[in-house]
Amino acid sequence: MNSLHLRNLSRRNFLVSSSALVVGSYAYTTGFNPVFANGTQSLSPSVYLEVGADGTVTVTCHRSEMGQGIKTAVAQVVCEELEADWDQVVVAQAEGDAKYGDQNTDGSRSIKNFFVPLRNAGAAAREMLVQAAADSWGVAPDECEAREHAVHHETSARSIPFGELVNAASKLDVPTNPTLKARENWNHIGKARIHVDAYDVATGTATYGADVTLPNMAIAVMVHAPVLGSSPLEVKVPDSANENARFIGIEKINAAPGPIGFNPVGSVAVIAEDTYTGIRVAKDLEITWSESPNRTFDSDTFQQSLRDGVKSTGKVWHEVGDADALLSNAEEKIDAVYETPFLSHAPMEPPSAIANVVDDSVEVLAPVQDPQTTRNTIVGVQGFAIENVKVTPTLLGGAFGRKSKPDFVLEAVELSKRLKRPIRVQWQRENDLQYDYFHAPSVQRYEATLGEDGMPIAWRQRTAFPSIMSTVAAPNMVEPANWELDMGFTNTPYRCENQSIEATGLKAGVRIGWLRSVCNIFHAFGANVFIDELAEKAGMDPIDYRLAMWKGMDTVQGALPSEPGHEFKIERLRNVLNRVRANSNWDEKLAAGRALGVAVHHSFLSYVATVLEVDASDPDYRVTDAHVVLDCGTYVNADTCVAQMEGAVVFGLSAAQRAKLTFKDGAIQENNFDGYLIARMPDAPSISVELVNSEQLPAGVGEPGVPPVAPALSNAIYRAGGDRRRSLPLI
Amino acid sequence: MAITMKVNGMEHQLDVDEDTPLLWVLRDHLSLVGTKFGCGRGLCGACTVQIDGTPTRSCLTTVAAVSGRNISTIESLVEQQPDLIDAWVEENVAQCGYCQSGQLMSAAALLATNAAPSDEEIDSAMAGNICRCGTYGRIRKAIHRTAEGRQ
Ligand code: FES
Ligand code: FES
Repeated sequence: MNSLHLRNLSRRNFLVSSSALVVGSYAYTTGFNPVFANGTQSLSPSVYLEVGADGTVTVTCHRSEMGQGIKTAVAQVVCEELEADWDQVVVAQAEGDAKYGDQNTDGSRSIKNFFVPLRNAGAAAREMLVQAAADSWGVAPDECEAREHAVHHETSARSIPFGELVNAASKLDVPTNPTLKARENWNHIGKARIHVDAYDVATGTATYGADVTLPNMAIAVMVHAPVLGSSPLEVKVPDSANENARFIGIEKINAAPGPIGFNPVGSVAVIAEDTYTGIRVAKDLEITWSESPNRTFDSDTFQQSLRDGVKSTGKVWHEVGDADALLSNAEEKIDAVYETPFLSHAPMEPPSAIANVVDDSVEVLAPVQDPQTTRNTIVGVQGFAIENVKVTPTLLGGAFGRKSKPDFVLEAVELSKRLKRPIRVQWQRENDLQYDYFHAPSVQRYEATLGEDGMPIAWRQRTAFPSIMSTVAAPNMVEPANWELDMGFTNTPYRCENQSIEATGLKAGVRIGWLRSVCNIFHAFGANVFIDELAEKAGMDPIDYRLAMWKGMDTVQGALPSEPGHEFKIERLRNVLNRVRANSNWDEKLAAGRALGVAVHHSFLSYVATVLEVDASDPDYRVTDAHVVLDCGTYVNADTCVAQMEGAVVFGLSAAQRAKLTFKDGAIQENNFDGYLIARMPDAPSISVELVNSEQLPAGVGEPGVPPVAPALSNAIYRAGGDRRRSLPLI
Repeated sequence: MAITMKVNGMEHQLDVDEDTPLLWVLRDHLSLVGTKFGCGRGLCGACTVQIDGTPTRSCLTTVAAVSGRNISTIESLVEQQPDLIDAWVEENVAQCGYCQSGQLMSAAALLATNAAPSDEEIDSAMAGNICRCGTYGRIRKAIHRTAEGRQ
């Protein structure tokens, strides 16, 4: 027998595999610790690394893949330390299980939190393989070297491929403190790699939520309540449907009482043998819905309430000096109000989920960002034992935060339980836009008065928006939370000796959730446009003005303590701004009818500066070029970082240019891509990206590119001779 | 009703309502799930296939309308234009990848009629295909790369 598990791995914590060396790294955030189990929350995440007897290295990716390239990046990190041959590495997707630690693929944290545990896993396996080879040769391990998927003994010119060492290595103890490779010897980390799924995607064979069909599976097409909180009362099914042999029936789902959370909303599910039958019947249903207090919700009225919210003092989060007195006595002050609307994630793949309930157990296959929360939520709602709930993520056809909320999965579970057969829930685009967890609308008011040098002597900033907590935690948690405000507001790098920072919350009548970059989108917008306004008043260049504001500053402290090694450093913010200044030829004279706008923002522990160039002769101010500089610390896949910045520019342009959602009588008004306007290819500029070569700790990549885009566009439009646009969307 | 259709060179006999969109016939009846559902209204291009070489939104095309026509889907592209697929991989175009079947089918149709499209021609041919991940720049590059490779 040539198969053994590592002895000190608990049985419930590894993939059972034959002919394989299995290394699980159970690491606390500070280091590697293979002694684990219990699956307690205090353990930080880990991965499985399996080396087969044929030499195949399987890296199990416990984070969800939604286009951010995490499957490729985790493999690169493991491959680096293992000294594996990239062509012999495959990546498997983990199901939701506490044994992996946190799986919430959200907040641009996968590499930040797992870089060290992943390296440790690869290094531990490498040391075991080296030890096994050394043992077989009767030499000391430090005379041997792992390289190119084999262990070599240079002095005797011998080598053994990894696969042949697996049996012996798997009998060794896992080193508790493996030696990591020195940075100068890295061959994989920091290099550009094509995504592991690239070929499958390009041939149409990659598997997303709706692409799997189970035997005897039925489709559920959903009709959701027009207003949040309503439940179906009467449902009239048309005769034509009842004559259709492929129509199975309807099921009513009531809106859950209590906090909204991730619960399903009120709906009627049309169950059919195929999707189109479901869609057709859904269209012809006549449904009466119960009343809901949210029926009075109107986004225009709500926006006015947010505007009112910044007229007077909110909850004060930071106060130095006496900004109030100086502002009320000032002869002249700049007082500007910035606004942003409701936005939707609108991933190209509408929510879809498969559930197969058999007795008191369920298997789920779905595009979810957090299979563990999905699993726990199913346990909470359905009362199944956790070991009877299995949740495996498919690829996610885009998510941007939407698919960390498993409401659509809970629908599938409930329906499969009722119908006693596998169910695939299919949302249409209309469902997706209607029942998103929306990006909060917001209003910011910035007021400042300037001294003789043009720099602010008093500064007051207020923000008003509905807190995500009011949806996902408790309805009365309307005040913006500290972590929401530390997204570009309480951690603003624009400081003044007389300063007040205030926030106000309001309850919306629809669900609020986190969307790629979250509150940074509106806070970066207000701050960066306001700074340009101040620079203009002071007669200074916008970049010079920012640099002048940061003179003598070292570190920015927000409402929450910084993580060690992840302090917000002005030096790094200044650097990306200076780099983008150079890359965009900011100081050179532009051709007539062209203008540049700049914005810079720190979010998800990274630093991004963006310059956009607009064509002033186009009434829509088409963006022709974008220059982005990213400092995300140490990065893993250089090409992914570039791609994420490119994607962020386009994602940011959608919000900057045309995207906006409105509600009347509690119901959404835009229900497809003809109303919710997303950037298309003619909108996409040519984009150049510089990655700062940094040895700092890895930080976020997926989100921080978005926030500077909208303010850079507003600033460019103004510099192109347009008006000062303070309200999104801009076009 | 009984419908005969030719998909990727294979004849299929199907018993479906004639108003059924081609998209759902491909996905639910023929298990050709490479073609994606994005909007159902002809607005996003995720469902793009070719009908007699013309890029077509399969979500708006009824099965009756394509009876007897030649339909090709993403699953056949590897035989039709393997260099286009290679270019997509080499440019590392895809992020989430969900829109890419439709993008590739639109791009393939463009290249079949325009051997060396300009950026403007690419933009206008591809404007019906949304990519929420924002891979547009790389799509342009992959189309140019394919065109150059064919010179
Ligand atoms: S699904 Fe057909 S165009 Fe969107
Ligand atoms: S790659 Fe995600 S929508 Fe295009």
